[in-house]
Amino acid sequence: MGYSGARGGLAAILAAEDLVRHARDHAPAPWAPTGQITARFRLAVDRVMGEGGLYHEPTAAAALRQAEGDTLEAAHLVRAYRSTLPRLAVSEPADPDEMTVLRRIVPAFRDPGGPQLLGRTTDYTGRLLEQPQAQPDSPADGPEPAPERTAEQRRPGRFLDLLRKMDLVADQRLRDDPDPVDITRTPARPPAARSAVLASMARAETGGLVGLWYRSILGPDGDVHEVTLGEVRHGRIPLRVRHPHTGNPVRLGEFRASEAEAIENLDGADEDRSKLDVGYGLCFGHNERKVIAMANLDIANRRFGRTGPLEQLLLLTTDGLDSTGFLEHLKLPHYVTFRSIVERKQAVRAALDAGEEPDERVAEPFGKEC
Amino acid sequence: MTDALSREQRCALLAEAERDELVALADECLADGAPVRVLTGPVVGVVVAQVREPVLAERFLLGDVLACRAEVELSGRRGWSMRLGDDRAATLAAAVLDAEVEAARPAAGRVDDLCHTVARRRTEREAAEWAEIAPTIVEFEELT
Repeated sequence: MGYSGARGGLAAILAAEDLVRHARDHAPAPWAPTGQITARFRLAVDRVMGEGGLYHEPTAAAALRQAEGDTLEAAHLVRAYRSTLPRLAVSEPADPDEMTVLRRIVPAFRDPGGPQLLGRTTDYTGRLLEQPQAQPDSPADGPEPAPERTAEQRRPGRFLDLLRKMDLVADQRLRDDPDPVDITRTPARPPAARSAVLASMARAETGGLVGLWYRSILGPDGDVHEVTLGEVRHGRIPLRVRHPHTGNPVRLGEFRASEAEAIENLDGADEDRSKLDVGYGLCFGHNERKVIAMANLDIANRRFGRTGPLEQLLLLTTDGLDSTGFLEHLKLPHYVTFRSIVERKQAVRAALDAGEEPDERVAEPFGKEC
Repeated sequence: MTDALSREQRCALLAEAERDELVALADECLADGAPVRVLTGPVVGVVVAQVREPVLAERFLLGDVLACRAEVELSGRRGWSMRLGDDRAATLAAAVLDAEVEAARPAAGRVDDLCHTVARRRTEREAAEWAEIAPTIVEFEELT
């Protein structure tokens, strides 16, 4: 085996790209228009919006189609596209209390004020695979006219406020109002402000975040203790910017988001053991799994992030583009690296054959050699 | 909605109007040959969604929302528009309609009418949406 400088591969790369493009765009099946993808694969579209950090359903759908359904590749395409766009404005601080709920459940409390609104969910449905040969028939009649709705039904008070009224929550509200960290301009590194951690989790890879949450429960870290869920919502939140001429807020429309509150029992020596604390999660689109993990990890990070590895894990290991980018690069040529490894092995073998004692092993940190 | 619209209300409703109705009305506004200048865009970009979360009342940046912005001058008055999404023609048309009202031009009343139509449509859409999801409210039954 030998190494020499080499060039080549461009033709193979172009041929490989052609293979993808041809098989994808000319598959023996009808073209999937963007509207088809947003209507039938909405949860995948929402996941791409969240992990890509850009809310626009048609863009996420186009990315999913181009990526052949690979959500992380689609998120990568969306982030690359987003990086080409100018920043027109920073919105006025959106208030999640203004969410018009499409779904709202409060597992911790039967009568939380406002409805237990199941909305669009299969949470309570048996997992029976349906394999229809064609689109099922439409129901003959549309929905019955709804009873008059109250403001509380569409914008219910949050469970956290109920807990506050019961004087059960340690009040940790800030007295000042720090500007949020913009992780798209400044990479978040520990120690980081909470706003950076929340932003990182909001666009984290869903599986990565859920994996870290589960590790915190069953793994060696033990950062998540209580897994009581206060509230989960999916709904629409208004987005407003300042009008450039009048200086007053203008509502541009709404974005859909998922939101969760997680309850934690305070039991530390320096904590108020008569109170609970609440963790918070919010992300683009409908992705309850992600916000539940986020809410639990928010509070775990506030309690233990500075004394253990959690903050570092959240900031540096949950971004899907980072982690998969690192993984994907392993497929690129590593000829020189591997030749170096082989030559070291051959040198060790030669030394052993010559009767030399092997050097004492010096451990290297994981991941250093890559 | 029968009261006069504030500029912010008008811009908000034009931001939700359909593309075709905006473009058609903007074409009518400009049909009399009034001097119009495009000052900005229409440019597609992002609005950073900033959220104040309810637990610590702390602000954080949730992500970006795709949006389009345009500004025009019509008969010496400025019209501004920003809409979610990437529809340049609709955004430019909305800016023309904003300027039409600001300049008190002949079609200003039509622009208000369109805004009221959009507001009504939103109300109807929300009612239809509620009709669909209201049956999923859990009605508990006391067990004695």
